[in-house]
Amino acid sequence: MKKPQIAADTRPWRDPDAKPFVRIRNVTKTFGDVYAVDDVSLDIYKGELFCLLGGSGSGKSTLLRMLAGFETMTAGVIEIDGQDMANVPPYERPVNMMFQSYALFPHMTVENNIAYGLKREGLPKTEIAERVGELLKLTRLENFRARKPHQLSGGQRQRVALARALAKRPKLLLLDEPLGALDKKLREDTQYELVKIQETLGVTFIVVTHDQEEAMVLATRIGVMNEGKIAQIGEPQEIYEFPNTRFVADFIGTVNMFEGVVTEDEDDHIRIDASSEAGCDIYVGHGVDCAPEQILWYAIRPEKMVLSRERPEGDANITHGLVQDIAYLGDISMYRVMLDSGKRVHVTKTNASRYDEDGIRWDERVFVSWASDAGAVLTS
Amino acid sequence: MSADAEIPDRPRPRLADTLRRFGLSGRTAVIAAPALWLALFFLAPLFVVLKIAFSTYALARPPYEPLLAWTQEGVLQITLHISNFLRPIQDPLFANAYLSSVQIAGISTIITLLIAYPMAWFIARSDEKYRNLLLMLVILPFWTSFLLRVYAWMGFLGQNGVFNQLLQGIGLTDAPVQMLYTPFAVYIGIVYTYLPFMVLPLFTTLVKLDQSLIEASGDLGAKPFVTFLTVTLPLSMPGIIAGSMLVFIPAIGEFVIPSLLGGADTLMIGRVLWDEFFSGRNWPSAAAVAIMMLVLLLIPIMLLARAQNAVVEKGA
Amino acid sequence: MRRGLFIPIVAVLGFVFLYAPIVSLIVFSFNESQLVTVWTGFSTKWYGELFRDPQILGAAWLSLQIAATSATIATILGTLAGIALTRLGHFRGRTALTGMASAPLVMPEVITGLSLLLLFVSMEAAFGWPAGRGFTTIVIAHTTFCMAYVTVVVRSRLVDMDRSLDEAALDLGATPLRVFFDITLPIISPALISGWLLAFTLSLDDLVIASFVSGPGASTLPMVIFSKIRLGVSPDVNALATIIIAIVALGVAGATLFGMRRAKN
Repeated sequence: MKKPQIAADTRPWRDPDAKPFVRIRNVTKTFGDVYAVDDVSLDIYKGELFCLLGGSGSGKSTLLRMLAGFETMTAGVIEIDGQDMANVPPYERPVNMMFQSYALFPHMTVENNIAYGLKREGLPKTEIAERVGELLKLTRLENFRARKPHQLSGGQRQRVALARALAKRPKLLLLDEPLGALDKKLREDTQYELVKIQETLGVTFIVVTHDQEEAMVLATRIGVMNEGKIAQIGEPQEIYEFPNTRFVADFIGTVNMFEGVVTEDEDDHIRIDASSEAGCDIYVGHGVDCAPEQILWYAIRPEKMVLSRERPEGDANITHGLVQDIAYLGDISMYRVMLDSGKRVHVTKTNASRYDEDGIRWDERVFVSWASDAGAVLTS
Repeated sequence: MSADAEIPDRPRPRLADTLRRFGLSGRTAVIAAPALWLALFFLAPLFVVLKIAFSTYALARPPYEPLLAWTQEGVLQITLHISNFLRPIQDPLFANAYLSSVQIAGISTIITLLIAYPMAWFIARSDEKYRNLLLMLVILPFWTSFLLRVYAWMGFLGQNGVFNQLLQGIGLTDAPVQMLYTPFAVYIGIVYTYLPFMVLPLFTTLVKLDQSLIEASGDLGAKPFVTFLTVTLPLSMPGIIAGSMLVFIPAIGEFVIPSLLGGADTLMIGRVLWDEFFSGRNWPSAAAVAIMMLVLLLIPIMLLARAQNAVVEKGA
Repeated sequence: MRRGLFIPIVAVLGFVFLYAPIVSLIVFSFNESQLVTVWTGFSTKWYGELFRDPQILGAAWLSLQIAATSATIATILGTLAGIALTRLGHFRGRTALTGMASAPLVMPEVITGLSLLLLFVSMEAAFGWPAGRGFTTIVIAHTTFCMAYVTVVVRSRLVDMDRSLDEAALDLGATPLRVFFDITLPIISPALISGWLLAFTLSLDDLVIASFVSGPGASTLPMVIFSKIRLGVSPDVNALATIIIAIVALGVAGATLFGMRRAKN
């Protein structure tokens, strides 16, 4: 999967001296007794495509609406490009938003929709016409300029909404579920288009989405939100391979989770007794900040596990069970294996060959094993 | 950032900001204009009615005694007369008017419901192409003058009216039947006038009723009539209540229909109020009748408010 | 199969019930006889009579002026109330405004009429305004009960309207007032038009409230009709009814066609 290519040394969030473009400090928003956003702090850098990912009610949309100025904060500070946004009304913010419903003005043509923000700036007519022309070209809508929104397809409406939000050259573009209303095929194409436009224009994007795959494709960094709080911030790979909590591990992708007790705690490895859940010991090939006897969790992705008929070498990370189900998904197959411990795990295997005569079948007894660095140790 | 650099960025003061300094935001104005109008011309008059209901009739202009008066000793004297409220109990004319209003309004409401329900059902289940047309046909009479529609029935029900000619034509009667100026004509008038008010809320609930619920009930073995009683009827209850109250409430206070279609003996409170006011010129008595009518309508109005909320919530 | 027929039959009878009196009204407006209900021959003389009756013409003109004025004020106030109740979030007295805005809908006309008259009389005694009763007092009374209907219509349109349209305009740099005129008003304009028409019709049609708050020399059309028909049917009233029905039918048909064309686009 391709991401906006920013060389490792220029990733500003890895540079402690870099100045953030959007600073969110201890922002809280309550509706009555409900904490919609709960003490969130977050820095977003210029040129980023930052994804706020979370389920419904996680607070991601409320946070976005506070950035746009539609909701007032209960507490905290939001700064955009060094300017405190506390008393700035939405119509004076250097920010534009693309709405989930697109919110295209139904009584205006495509052209007038795009020009609306420019007219409010009081720009001369020729300048507005020129800018609208550019945007129509960018979003490939030249032939639809005189149409009304209801005469457009879903994908075209989405592009008008994007063009309208970009028209005023905002420093920051907020996108609320920008691809949510499109069907699957169109969504995939549009994802790449969105990334291309973002790279071309260099505008900072903050995207709210509930779709983790979309977040992985689009984002330079992802902020996972849960119950009004930021659960983890990181690059997509970091979030997937190094989740910091059971919530994040579970929320992104599929994961197998084993609870266990630390039996050996060394600088270069630890050993976990997970016999009740995994049916074996788990050996982790690096040090972990934990104590002997501590209860913790081991999270491992289905593709990091291997199935075999013969028992592999070793005294840990090997367990056995019965194949209950095989789901053939084309590119991969997903095996559901009932371990002898009574826990069910998911294991995937790439279908590298078109012929798999000798493959593992259901109702077969198999060994399930994994490498010592294949999973993440979680303490919460 | 230095202070100098900030000055050019500061937005220049606008009219809105200036007004806001005096507490006059657009927001306040939007709320205040309708609120003040309603407070002055809807709420205040009701208090005036209450005040005058406690006064007494006098041969004066205006024809009532003031409640507050300075006695010759300079003491503020408040006189409250409750006699106006006792009349309905003491005077059989008033008591009968109340009872017959409730009876006429109640029976008319039930008849209207019985006609409107099949109509609403028919429209709700008709092809979407014709639905709006049928709905418009129900609403259309509402747009023409109410007075003239009642008048139309005068011509229809009179001694030589279309109805009597029809009855005689098919040989049901030899002599014309007295229909105009009877309670029967009043029932017809009320049912006719308020039928659209019943059909519309019923239609609104029935059209939202998921057809698959009825199919599911049938699939589970319920006969059509049982399905109607156990599924359709309970689910359309908000519409039934809203529609019934929309007929019952105005029917109670109805004046035009009983005075044009009813006989001299068809008593209704609205008519009594009118006569007290215009013929008797007894304003305090008319005011007391109004207050007692409002008390009578309190429960129906609350029922209506609840049912309308339910209809609206279902739509959301 | 019986169930299949029962409902359509009742429905058709219901429609017959709704329209039969109106049809007979129209038919007999072309009757030659003075007796409204006995057909003697086709004639349009009652229409001629109608247009020569200065009392009816004067009352019709007064009613139209009152209806246009009160419908306009009611539309403005009702729209403001609709906005206050849907767009301004919570404010002190919101519940009170909600109640006051819908209560006139269920208030019996005799009470509205009586209470307003008593208010006008008390106000005149206290401040000398309104001096006497007539056009102004009828307009105030009609505005009050019509604005409740406008509020209902506008409010339901605003509730249905996607709020993010307003937010999008704010986001693109329009001030709240600008948003109202650029976005909200054009989108809710069909509701404003139907609200105005509804208020106009209700005002034109009102007999009871106008009878209370009107004064000598200010008789509206329904008041004149009422005094004519109180004593029995009268053929020129049939003619007048036919004209009103024709106007309404044309208006509603036109509005529906316009609405259907809009919906199709």
